[in-house]
Amino acid sequence: MAPRRGTTRRRFLQTTALAAAGLAAPKAFSAAAPDLKLKKPIKIGCQTILSGPLGGYGEFMRKGATLAMEQINAAGGIGGSPVEMNFRDEELKVDVGVKNARYFVDDWGADFLIGIDSSAVALAVGEIMPTLNKVLIVTHGATEKYNEDLVYKRHVRQCFRVCVPVYQDGIASALVAKDLPVKRWATISPDYEYGHTSWKMFRAYLKRFKPDVEFVGESFAKFGTVDFSSHISKVMGLNPEGIFSTEWGGEAVTMVKQAKLFKVFENTKAFMIGMGSAMDVLQGLGADYPDGTWASGRYYFGYPDTPENKKFVADFRKRFDTYPSYPSETAYTAVYALKKAVEKAKSIETEKVIEALEGMELDRPAGKCVIRKEDHQAVYAVPWGQIKHDPKFPMPILTNLKVFSTDEYYRKPPFAPVEG
Amino acid sequence: MLFQGLVGLSEAMYLWLVAAGLSLIFGVMRVLNFAHGSLYMLGAYFAWVAFRISGSFWVALLAGPLLVGAAGWAMEFGFLRRVYSAPEAFQLLLTFAFVLILDDAVKLVFGPVYQSPPTPAALSGAVLIGRSILPTYHLFILGVGALVGLGLWLFLEKTSFGLVIRATAADREMARALGVRSSRLFTWVFVLGAILAGLGGALSMPVRAISPGMGEFIIIEAFVVVVLGGLGSLRGAFLGSVLIGLLHAYGLLFMPVFELALGYMAMALVLIVRPWGLFGVREG
Repeated sequence: MAPRRGTTRRRFLQTTALAAAGLAAPKAFSAAAPDLKLKKPIKIGCQTILSGPLGGYGEFMRKGATLAMEQINAAGGIGGSPVEMNFRDEELKVDVGVKNARYFVDDWGADFLIGIDSSAVALAVGEIMPTLNKVLIVTHGATEKYNEDLVYKRHVRQCFRVCVPVYQDGIASALVAKDLPVKRWATISPDYEYGHTSWKMFRAYLKRFKPDVEFVGESFAKFGTVDFSSHISKVMGLNPEGIFSTEWGGEAVTMVKQAKLFKVFENTKAFMIGMGSAMDVLQGLGADYPDGTWASGRYYFGYPDTPENKKFVADFRKRFDTYPSYPSETAYTAVYALKKAVEKAKSIETEKVIEALEGMELDRPAGKCVIRKEDHQAVYAVPWGQIKHDPKFPMPILTNLKVFSTDEYYRKPPFAPVEG
Repeated sequence: MLFQGLVGLSEAMYLWLVAAGLSLIFGVMRVLNFAHGSLYMLGAYFAWVAFRISGSFWVALLAGPLLVGAAGWAMEFGFLRRVYSAPEAFQLLLTFAFVLILDDAVKLVFGPVYQSPPTPAALSGAVLIGRSILPTYHLFILGVGALVGLGLWLFLEKTSFGLVIRATAADREMARALGVRSSRLFTWVFVLGAILAGLGGALSMPVRAISPGMGEFIIIEAFVVVVLGGLGSLRGAFLGSVLIGLLHAYGLLFMPVFELALGYMAMALVLIVRPWGLFGVREG
């Protein structure tokens, strides 16, 4: 029988192995690996939201982490040990998140933890990391309290984060907003830590950049909101000129669809959605996504124009038949950051890996990044842009990209309180 | 001000469609159907499939609920009727199992990505009410909700089948003694309840993101509604939905911090003062 043509799983693994080991691999990720002779797999526990209306996010995170694991294993693992991963549903619930973390470390034998979507869960799991004494790399939860309070002020050294914090949603957004012809802003945002802290930051910084702005109203929607109509009618009753929102996932999709019905896009001058360029929102809204809507994320597949990013997008599409969303990139980067740190530390001991991660530079798909020593926060720039429909892509994309230098919008130690 | 109430009412109509079926099924069959939210979800997905095939919202709106009716028939005929004589806990377990199975089945078949077909052109306009804009779709929903309410009332009060349903709900033993074939009746009542939930789901398809697990949020609110209105009472389900919708809309406006708690506080209050619900029948 003639050998089968087409891509089989094995063939695919061989290809990625070659690609990962070959010259095409990003240089930061392919330094000659020492053999640690651990004689056991390196276990990484990842928790993310895998059920309910926001479950699409977790799928994208799982895919990104899986891609990194497969590439690393095909190229010989981390320091000679294969990577093993386990995924659990975080359910965006604090108790579930803490239970997952304990399960990973105490029962499953995890060496490292990554993931976490909810800011509240990130803070709660962060609290118990000194007890568990493993390195945790958060890949989505974005509250600034994680890096500013937990790590910088309270020295919980086990906690790291490779995704941009709410500086993207609250400060880079203000840098965009200051040049828009809008004076009256209102928000429709999630009624939990992330939504409140982003809006507070946006108000404080926009007021600083453009003192004559007004904030005319806010409506906070609980987790699991299936209808935004009364939020929209409440906010539109206050005659805002611009809407700022940090709704995400399926809730962002519902909000935009209903805002369209209420003619919000015709009657305001700007609509900004912090996580609006996430792939699930782009795909979920499709043709319904109004042109010109301002959107951002924690990574956007079209930026930057580097070999590392092109390769990541191509590998991801080949493996999963979809464009990557931002949690895909952050989880992928977390796994590779652990690889680099373990190989640099020549150990999987927590203290040594922490030292290796501090100040580490990475050429990740999202661009060059440094993990700040002071607050264990990865620093890299993510664009804001405007929604545009381009027939070359199966979903809407971003145009008119605004990229600010990280100096301009990352808050720095000693982290003065956000006034406002 | 009044406008905010109108918007709240339109949100209440989805809830009413789900709560109506839930209450009807409980009234006649004494089964608390946990999976009713999943039938709402199926309505949205079936309508979406019908939309993809036919390209018509109206075909989808008809096909979605009917397909959910068929699924409801399979659930009742294949599973539920086997546990009618079992303790209530078994019925709860069975319907809860359906929640988990259907959520995962939908995720398996359609993937976790949010689906959202466009709003039909005929209904994506808006009307001016005072200085506020009300989407045509919301008017349409209000109309459908009212029509379903009227239709159910006529059906239960004016037809002989409705009479049989009311009689069985009032006294199952007596109805059976008088020759009502309750097993067949139960199947039809369950199918009717499923169609109503399916209609709610199909109506939500173009304006709410469709995702696995979308039924879990609505079922909790629907339970609040039927407890408020009285288990088994359709009038109670209607007024309960309206009350929850208005509490939500005005709560957002006047006391946003407590908005989340208002519905539950109303439920707790009713449970203390009238444990059988506003329009329920006191038992025993």
